[in-house]
Amino acid sequence: MYAQAFFVAVFGLAAIGFGVAVFRTSSMVRSALALLFSQTAVGCMFLAMQTEFLGVLQIMMMATEMSIMTIFMVMFMMDPGGLGGMDMSHQKRFSLGAGAIAASVAIAVALLADWGPVTAEAPDAAMQTRALGIELLGRSMLIFETAGVTILTAMIAATAVAIPVHTLADNGDKEASE
Amino acid sequence: MSEAVLALAGARKGRPSILQRLVGQALARNLSCLIVPGPEVALVHGLDVAAAGMRIAATPRDAAVLLVIGELSQKLDEAAAVLYAQMPRPRAILVLGGPAPSSLPHADVSASLSQAELIDAAGRLQRALAEGAFAASPEDFDASVLQARTEYVCPMHPEVVEDEPGSCPKCGMDLVAREAGADTGAEETTPEHGHDHEHHKDHDHEHHHDDHKHHHDHHHAHGQHNGGTHEHSEHDHEGHEHHHGSEHHMEHHQESSGGHEHHDHVGGHDHDAMGFMSMVEVTKDLPRSADGLQMDWIEVPFGPVFPGLPGGLRLTLTLDGDGVTEGQATSLVGMTTEGEDGDEGKEMDAEAFVERLASSMPLASVSYRLLACRAIERAAGLEDDPAAARAHASALERERIASHLGWLAQLGRQLSFVWLTRRATSLQLETRHANRDQLVALRPALRALTVRLERTPLLKARLRGIGTLPGSSHDLRGPVARAAGYREDARLANALYEDLRFEIRTEESPPDAWARLQVRLAEITASLDLVEAAGEPRLPTLRDIGSASGTGEVTVETPRGRAGLRLTLERGQVTSLKMDTACSHHIGLVANLVEGRELGDALVAVGSLDLSPWEVIQ
Amino acid sequence: MTVAVVLVALLGSAWLLAVIEAWLTTGRLRPVAPLLAGLSHLGRESLLPRKPDRLFFETAPVLLLVVAVLGAAVLPLAPGLVIADLATGALFVNTALAYVLVALIMAGWGPNGAYAMIGGWRFLGQLIAYAMLIVMPITAVAMRAESLLTTTIVGSQEGLWNIVYQPLGFVLFFIAAMALAFRAPFDLPTAAGELAGGVDAEYTGVRLAVLRLARLVLVVTLAAATTVFYLGGWHGPLLPPWAWSLIKTLAVAVSMLLAGRYLPRIREADLMRWCWTLGIPLALLNIFIVGLLILVVP
Repeated sequence: MYAQAFFVAVFGLAAIGFGVAVFRTSSMVRSALALLFSQTAVGCMFLAMQTEFLGVLQIMMMATEMSIMTIFMVMFMMDPGGLGGMDMSHQKRFSLGAGAIAASVAIAVALLADWGPVTAEAPDAAMQTRALGIELLGRSMLIFETAGVTILTAMIAATAVAIPVHTLADNGDKEASE
Repeated sequence: MSEAVLALAGARKGRPSILQRLVGQALARNLSCLIVPGPEVALVHGLDVAAAGMRIAATPRDAAVLLVIGELSQKLDEAAAVLYAQMPRPRAILVLGGPAPSSLPHADVSASLSQAELIDAAGRLQRALAEGAFAASPEDFDASVLQARTEYVCPMHPEVVEDEPGSCPKCGMDLVAREAGADTGAEETTPEHGHDHEHHKDHDHEHHHDDHKHHHDHHHAHGQHNGGTHEHSEHDHEGHEHHHGSEHHMEHHQESSGGHEHHDHVGGHDHDAMGFMSMVEVTKDLPRSADGLQMDWIEVPFGPVFPGLPGGLRLTLTLDGDGVTEGQATSLVGMTTEGEDGDEGKEMDAEAFVERLASSMPLASVSYRLLACRAIERAAGLEDDPAAARAHASALERERIASHLGWLAQLGRQLSFVWLTRRATSLQLETRHANRDQLVALRPALRALTVRLERTPLLKARLRGIGTLPGSSHDLRGPVARAAGYREDARLANALYEDLRFEIRTEESPPDAWARLQVRLAEITASLDLVEAAGEPRLPTLRDIGSASGTGEVTVETPRGRAGLRLTLERGQVTSLKMDTACSHHIGLVANLVEGRELGDALVAVGSLDLSPWEVIQ
Repeated sequence: MTVAVVLVALLGSAWLLAVIEAWLTTGRLRPVAPLLAGLSHLGRESLLPRKPDRLFFETAPVLLLVVAVLGAAVLPLAPGLVIADLATGALFVNTALAYVLVALIMAGWGPNGAYAMIGGWRFLGQLIAYAMLIVMPITAVAMRAESLLTTTIVGSQEGLWNIVYQPLGFVLFFIAAMALAFRAPFDLPTAAGELAGGVDAEYTGVRLAVLRLARLVLVVTLAAATTVFYLGGWHGPLLPPWAWSLIKTLAVAVSMLLAGRYLPRIREADLMRWCWTLGIPLALLNIFIVGLLILVVP
């Protein structure tokens, strides 16, 4: 029990630490990978809390997702290496406020919500996986499918919007001007 | 035995101890060498490095031995110094058949150009490494090419360049240090003086390693300015190597190349005031690449000693991600006709001229020897001797087989196709000095190679559609022309080849790398037929011309295409010459072939031209 | 104890693989060659390139080694001989190996060199191609075993190995595993002829020794995963279970090495196209067929 709490705390602090590192560096790649390891630490928290499947899944998904985010940040940002010593934090006052409010809401929810009776023992990992699968293919199916398709659409749309339409005439102009 | 005698020039600092002797032994039994100018040159000299117990390293980082073959041109000599500087210590120099390059320290072992000598030299090198890999006070290595000068530029006004630190006279900003030797080419393509834009040209000219491409220069501790030359590469273990700072960047001052880095922080000026910086705003005037993103160009040198390209060839590619925006190839070893031979005052003995021409074209020495002999004989007014001509044609065709095999080996190196490299290499070594019967005996093996390559999965997909020449290409020669469907062959005009029933083979499919492979494979077989018909191959030798005078012009179909030589003899001396080679024409195709291609495809396209940088007349 | 046995087996396999690889390249069978190579790497300077992202540069080889070992930790060598028999074992292999990508991005970005950087990003591009072909065949394997436990997966193949039961899945997984191990013909991130070593290019000395070891262990891990998922793991007549596991793993690893020698490097665009237009539909078909088989054959 204490060991579990200890590991949850350690990984939680690691997640926060990496999260801070995201904004403390001026290199896009460092920033993205710091976010990756922050999410990995959250995955480890899941593991420490005996939700094996979710933890492993989180750790796996984040590796690829954040890596892909890295290339996008390198592609779109002008100074991916942080040569100019760019400050990653913006709108400081606003974000301080927003952060404080979000944190207090989260703490309030944690303290005030009715979490129900404490389970004496978590079901074993294989059972959890099974239960999760049945849940996903049962009443949560629609929610997850909707969310998944929405995210996919958003990604495709965002990329499409970011890349200007190229026509042949454009290309000709460009080559002529260069 | 004093230690000073035994220690290598490139020894690593350390007191000889048992452990270090052990490491030295291990190193000696695990030799990897980087060949300058390149493995294909080793092969044409009949050197089988693997048989001498050494592994061919792809990069200087991976090599313990710098194997220098023959005499190096001035530029290649400097390149060798850069390569040597990049090799981790302990490192050794092995020079075969030439003087030690002037910019390198003395050779640890030198020998002449033969396989027996190479094996012997490898043995000596192993002993030297086992004994002298570590020394208490190793020599430093420094060469003028490795020096970099620091200059100071304004991040906002790239035209402001000062020798001393200070502030910009235009805007008052602190000047930022950079390495000197920068060119001004970058600004031309940069709108608004490179404002808000990171456009870097970096040139470190030699090997692939030193491209400090600044656009992700992410050591953010030094992020603001890039610290000039003070940021040396750190050697973990040896503090004494002060020179290493400059060896990892290597800008030439002589050449107008340089690390061009004016970066400025995007939106760095207004993020406090405005909150958000708008990426759209900041980048709206910048040039865009094919994918519509504003570009971060980097100019990356490939070569002159690059595993996927012929040694001595430098390909400079401007990369946008892994796409090539533009590129051009130059030869660092090409023959210059104007400077030396073209000089009216300078005369050269005919014999010496033949030797010189043959040795300066190592990848096709028989062809150029023949070219020189025939041109001189023509100038002297001698008639062709039919019997000798047949023997010489046979030697020429033998060289064509060997040369095409060498190209296949190079293709294998480029595509990590190990089997092909090994097979083509061993066949090339067998073909080199084979007589007619031996060559005929190789027919099944060569046939099997051809069949095998046609059936290799992925190979056609890899080469089809790559390096397609535009329809308007002219000046094509040799296999490149024949793969494009042109009936271009100097042998067609030769009556001798008519007797030998020579038939030209052209490719009707699109003129791409696959077509060139097909043509070369077919030519291997065709040349074998010619050798069989022509008889025993014999190296051309110059007949006695006495002190004749006159002008002669001949063409020979070298393995890479038609080469023409026109020379004037005066009293047995060559006084002027004009040469025209296939590679001089083909090297100009590179820019067109690489533009807009993916990096790997671009390199395959360049490789498929079979450029011999020696045969590029400058 | 189990940990020590599995680690020794892993290192031993990596060593054998290195001996075989040296044998194939030089034609000489020298058992000490890998040790000599390692020793000579250790004895050489470990250079830092100019202005590296030192954190990434140093982390990458170690991370690669760690994830390769972690991946092997859930793969059983024999009944009971597994470091961690996780209830999510089949997923965990994939999770650990997802960080190969992270390590390569670090190795690509860290040295501050164009060749390495392009190599690193190429591997990211390759991920889009191979990742689905790792996960989807594993899904079909887990479907048959009705479990993610690697030991159960091996158990499910007692009568019939998965290579026979779902050959399509095996082929796809094998190809994707080679791509993940970035061995020829999928050596896009390291491509000697194109990138002069790519992500490997700037590493020397001790760091290179770690990187080379990590790459060998990665091949062994992937071969072990292929063995567990498709070749019936420890099952086999006569010999003890662990011997069968080792033999199969080495056979798969050597065939991965051999395949690369007889093939030219694949084009990046082709890899992507074939994986998406051919690989993913085939993987879906495989899942469908396996599903049908499970329903139809009791």
